[in-house]
Amino acid sequence: MNSRSTARRLGILLSPPAAILFGLFFVPLAIMATYAWREGTFGAASRQFTWSNFEQLAASPGFLKLLGSSAGLALQTSLLAIVLAYPVAYLLAFSAGRYRLGLLTLLILPAWTSYLLRILAWKLILGSNGVLNYALLELGWIQEGVPIFLYSRTAVLITLVYVWTPFAALPIFSALERIQQPLLDAASDLGAKPWESFLRITLPLSFPGVLAAFFFVFIPTIGEWVTPALVGGVDGIMYGNLIQDQFVRALNWPMGSLLSMVLLAVTLVAVLIFNRFVNITEVGAYG
Amino acid sequence: MKKMQALLLGLLVLSLALAGCGAPAAANTELILLEWSGYELPEFWEPFAAQHPEIAPQYSFFAEDTEAFSKAQSGFEFDLVHPCSSYWRSYVDAGLVQPLDLSRLTYWNDVYPNLADEGEFDGQQYFVPWEWGYESILVRTDLVEEVPDSWADLWDPQYAGHVSVFDSGESNFVMAASVLGIDPYNATPEQVEQIKQKLLELKPNLLTYWTDYTEINQLVAQGDVWLAGQAWNDAYAALYDEGYEVEYLDPAEGRLGWVCGFGISANSANVDLAYDYLNAVMAPESMANMGNAYYYGVANAAAQPLLDEYFVELMDMDDPAVLADTVFYQSLTEEQRELFARIWTEVKAGE
Repeated sequence: MNSRSTARRLGILLSPPAAILFGLFFVPLAIMATYAWREGTFGAASRQFTWSNFEQLAASPGFLKLLGSSAGLALQTSLLAIVLAYPVAYLLAFSAGRYRLGLLTLLILPAWTSYLLRILAWKLILGSNGVLNYALLELGWIQEGVPIFLYSRTAVLITLVYVWTPFAALPIFSALERIQQPLLDAASDLGAKPWESFLRITLPLSFPGVLAAFFFVFIPTIGEWVTPALVGGVDGIMYGNLIQDQFVRALNWPMGSLLSMVLLAVTLVAVLIFNRFVNITEVGAYG
Repeated sequence: MKKMQALLLGLLVLSLALAGCGAPAAANTELILLEWSGYELPEFWEPFAAQHPEIAPQYSFFAEDTEAFSKAQSGFEFDLVHPCSSYWRSYVDAGLVQPLDLSRLTYWNDVYPNLADEGEFDGQQYFVPWEWGYESILVRTDLVEEVPDSWADLWDPQYAGHVSVFDSGESNFVMAASVLGIDPYNATPEQVEQIKQKLLELKPNLLTYWTDYTEINQLVAQGDVWLAGQAWNDAYAALYDEGYEVEYLDPAEGRLGWVCGFGISANSANVDLAYDYLNAVMAPESMANMGNAYYYGVANAAAQPLLDEYFVELMDMDDPAVLADTVFYQSLTEEQRELFARIWTEVKAGE
C-alpha cells in the first residue's frame, strides 16, 4: 500500500465527520458571528450593518467586569477541583488495586444523573430548610434557618466544584497511570524519600494530566449559566447569564452574538497562553 | 472548487427536500396553535371539538413571549398565536398577523373595551384579548414585622435579603418608573438613568430574581422570600390554598396588569377554523373554565357571572376600583423593548 492510497482512505474516512463539523458547527457559528455587526435580530434591521453593538459594549463596563469575575470564578473552580481530584486520582492509580474499576465507577456515577438534578440537589442542601441549616441548627451554631450559602457566589463555586471534580480526576488518573513503576523503584533505590520521588517524578510526570484537567473544568465553567441561574441569586450571576438573557429574554441576538464571540476570543487567548507553557497535543494525549 | 459546488448543491437539494416535508396541507384541514402550555385543556375549547370532531388542534408550546416571537419570525407555520399585549405591536409590525373580521367573532361585543383597545393598531383589531391578570406584591404576613403597602416598600431595608422580583426588564422598568412617578413609555434619557439607579439601589434587598411560577412559590413557601414582587394571581391563590399566611397587596401605585390574547397568522391557510377556535375559546363557559382553573381574569364580561364566588372574592374580581387602578402593560415598540432589556441587563451585570 503506498502513502497515496493511505491518504485517500484517510480522506474518505474523515470526510463525513469533517462535513458534519463544517456544516453543523462551523457554518452556524460563523452565521451567528455575523450577527455582532447587525442592527437587529429580525427583518430589515437584521440586514443592516453596524458597529453600534461594539460601541454599546464599550460603553457598558459592567459587562466586561462580569466577564473578569466569571473568569476568576472559573479559575477558582478549576484549581479547587484539581486539588480535590488529585488525591482521588492518585489513590485510583496507585493504591486501589482490584477495587480500581469499582471506585472509578463510583466516581463517575453522579454524572449518570441529569446535570440539572444534581444542581437542584444542592438547593436542598444549602437552602434555609436544607440539610446544612438543619445540622447547624441542631448543633446550636445558628438560631434560625437562613439561606447562608444559597443565592451567592459561594453557592455557585461549591456547586461547580462538586460537578467538575470527577471530570478533573479522570485526566489526572490517566496521566498517573502511565508513570512506570521502575522509575519510582529506581528513585527509592537511590535513596529518595517518598515525598521526594513524588515531587520530582510523579508530580512533573502527571502535570500534563493536571493541565488537561484544568482545561476540562475552566473552559465550560467560564461560560456557565445554568448553575448561577439556579443557585447564584443576585451576586452569583455570571457572564453566561448575560448571553442567555440577550438571546432568550431581550431578543437581542446581535448583542448576544458579540458577547459570545468576546467569550470565545478570551478562552482562545487563554488556551494559547497556556499552550506556550506546555505542548497542547501532549495534553490531549493524556486527556 | 467543483467539489465545493457539488457539496453546496447537495445541501440545497437536501434542504429543499426537508422543507417539502413541512409544506402546509390543504386549506382548513388542520389547526396549529403557538400556545402557552396549560391552555390546551379541552374544557377551554369544547365548542370547537363539538363543531369539528375530526380535527385535533396541534399545539406548539412556548414558555416565554420572546420564544414564540422568534419562532414565528423564523418561519414557523401556525394558524393562531397567543402572545401577551407587550408583544402585540411587534407581531403587527412584522406582518405576522392579519386584521380580524370582527363580524365573525360571536362574542366580540361582550369583550371589555379597555382590554380590546390594546389589540387595536391603526384602526384595525389584530388581537382578541382572552385572559388577564395582576402582578403585585405577595407577602408572607407571618414573617414580616410590618406589612408593606406600596411598591416603594420593596426598597425598605427591613426586608433586606428577603425580596425577590421577576427577572424581566419590562416588568422592573415599569415598576421602578411607577415608584418614581415617571411614565415608563415616554421616559427622557435623564429619567431612564434615574430608573436604572433606582433598580441598582434595589439589589442589596434582593435574595434572587425569580423566573417562573414554581420557583417563586417555593421561595415564598420555604420562607426565604417574604416579599415576592410581580407575583401573579395563581401564585397567591396556590399559597393561600396551601394554608400559608399570605396577602396579595393592592399597592399605592396600583397593581400592574397583563393581558394576553389570540391573533391569526397572516399566512394561515385555515382561517375559517381559526375563527371557529376563537369563538370556542371566547364562549363564556370556556373562559370561565379557564378563570376558575388558573385564577386569571376573563376578557369576556359575559363569563364574569360564571366564575366561582371564592375566586372572585380572593382576587377582588368584582371590585371596579382595583381594576381601574391597575397599570396595564402597553404594547412595546422595538426601541422600547430594547431599552427596557438593556437597562435590566446593565442592572443585573451590576454597573
